[in-house]
Amino acid sequence: MTQFTTLTVQLRKLCLTAAATGVLLATGTAGAQTLAPGEYSIGFITEITGPLAAAGVSYWRGAQQAAEEINAEGWLGKGATLTLIAKESGSDAARAVQALTQFAADRNVVATTCCIISPVAGALRPVAVSSKIPLVLYGATRPGLPQLPFVSSVVVLPGPSEVKMMEQLVKAIKPKTVTFFVNADNDAFQDRFKAAQKTTEAAGVKTSGVVSILSNDTDFTAPATQAMATNPDLISVFTTQTPAVGIISALRARGYKGPINTSDVISPPAVFKKAGEAVVGVPFPIQFSADVSSTKEAKAFVASYEKKNKDSPDTYSAQGYTAIYYIAQALRSMNGKPTREALADALAKIKSVDRNVYGGLPMIDGQADVQNSMLVTWSANGKIVPWENK
Amino acid sequence: MQLFLEQLVNGWALGSLYGLFGIGFGLVFSTLGILNAAHGTYASWAAILGYFSVTQFGAPFPVAIAVGVLGGGIVAVAVDQIAFQPLRAVKAGMLGALITSIAFSIILDSLAGFATEHQSLAFPAGTYPRQMVDLGVIKVPQMQIITILALLVCASGIYFLIQKTRIGAAMRAVGWNETAAALGGVNSRMVILLTALLAGATSGLAGVLGGISTSNVSYALGEGLMLKGFAAVVVGGYDDIRGTAIAGICLGIIEVFVAQYISTSFRDGFTYIFLLAFLVARPRGLLGSVNFTRA
Repeated sequence: MTQFTTLTVQLRKLCLTAAATGVLLATGTAGAQTLAPGEYSIGFITEITGPLAAAGVSYWRGAQQAAEEINAEGWLGKGATLTLIAKESGSDAARAVQALTQFAADRNVVATTCCIISPVAGALRPVAVSSKIPLVLYGATRPGLPQLPFVSSVVVLPGPSEVKMMEQLVKAIKPKTVTFFVNADNDAFQDRFKAAQKTTEAAGVKTSGVVSILSNDTDFTAPATQAMATNPDLISVFTTQTPAVGIISALRARGYKGPINTSDVISPPAVFKKAGEAVVGVPFPIQFSADVSSTKEAKAFVASYEKKNKDSPDTYSAQGYTAIYYIAQALRSMNGKPTREALADALAKIKSVDRNVYGGLPMIDGQADVQNSMLVTWSANGKIVPWENK
Repeated sequence: MQLFLEQLVNGWALGSLYGLFGIGFGLVFSTLGILNAAHGTYASWAAILGYFSVTQFGAPFPVAIAVGVLGGGIVAVAVDQIAFQPLRAVKAGMLGALITSIAFSIILDSLAGFATEHQSLAFPAGTYPRQMVDLGVIKVPQMQIITILALLVCASGIYFLIQKTRIGAAMRAVGWNETAAALGGVNSRMVILLTALLAGATSGLAGVLGGISTSNVSYALGEGLMLKGFAAVVVGGYDDIRGTAIAGICLGIIEVFVAQYISTSFRDGFTYIFLLAFLVARPRGLLGSVNFTRA
């Protein structure tokens, strides 16, 4: 009995010791999972001048919004804050490389983020890898740009949502023929056009014409005439923003009344301000819209963005916002004072971005992937609304 | 046939813009001896000023055109007096003027970027003529007809001014030799100011008409006109307005037809092959003087 009592006491002690050790270990682990207090700098390569300045301003504002929220909420942990350091590239690859090199030389910069256009992103990728500095792409849409662990992308690739759009339109409009507009000098748009064409042709829709334009073109009267001469049931525009707006305006000005669809390049409010009634009723796919997105995070983002900027956020602001939260999430998961290499590994391990405006943002091999795109259009009063076939 | 005719008119209208722009560019070169890289910015600024006159002050279409034309002229005079007059005073030569004009081009482009917040803007629908005119076989947008007429009127008017009036004679005299013209009683300072004003105004007209018809008012508007306008001057002949107008129209038509019947990718290539062919086969251009040289 005494022996039994002694054994029980010993067992109890053992259990208590184990429990105490467990608690201590758990506490210790939790303590180690805290980011060291301090200021963490992110090098943001801006494009707020040059040909894409309008979009560049949106990306930058979205990123600033995220950094301010993170710091105000203490999201990184006690005493840890985020600072954005901006260097301008003007969408020029050489200037962007120069900016990245300068960020790499500044040991206070733990990560960088960049690029609206894919050729610039492509130029930066080897520099980031050789400098061993994390680079998060916020705007470039060419597939295959991420190179883990150093280069990743929060850009939702437009291809799948455009294919989905074409399927929806074929079902709703039932066109027999379609004429495409495409940038002759932009590989990414060429690929997107080919994917869309494959979808329509697989559904039995004949391609009645392909009209090529160049990115720097401004007069689209002749291309519009060319497309209208093919007498299509649907016109699909797969070009960069300025040509897309110009083409749609020229088609309507020349009296084309048939259906036109395009990509999310016409989603920023500035496009409606410029083109007005020409873009009303033109369907395009989108992952985020201040008017349509209804998640709690999206609504909070829209409200705070509008309060700060006196303007609604667009899809580009959302991408800039996401890029900063993605980096912050990796920082938040680390302990002590992280190195760039460790941060790159942490970024590569992220399976989904916790704080996002898309209602879920999975990351697959360093590339954002959203399937829940919406088919929307501009209404006559300048709001983005779900598209309906009328 | 209908498509051919429609594209012919499209090319003619586009070429008319090149011609209008080229007239101003050629005037500055033949009279003032300046290869002015800032000339494109006059067109951008004219379009921007015309746009703001409509959106901020509700100006009707003719007033918007007048604001653009006058604005282009004033910017050109200001640039001439700030940038080129000091160089002229020390006889700095063409290279100095070219470098200065590049600097002013960058400055004016940047300012235009700030004025438009780096956005591409468009004249609001309903503020300019946008109906299609039925010509029987084809329908033509009203803006294309206005652009084509604008070139015809401007080219004829400026040609008459230069060839048939005393002011024109003074301009030609200054273009040949400023000192000799002054000794002959020509007020060369006034001639220079008038030439700059006229050149800026015609480029401004090209800018504001182009901005309206292409729905693109931006700081980059002048860049597109610059190369094609230069090509029109070279092909047409530096010292003949008629040549520039004809060459501009030809360039526009070639551009549109190459895109329609060959490939967009070759479009600019053909334009510059055309330019190169003229430089080799006929360096003085279509109607340029055999012995044209800057004094």
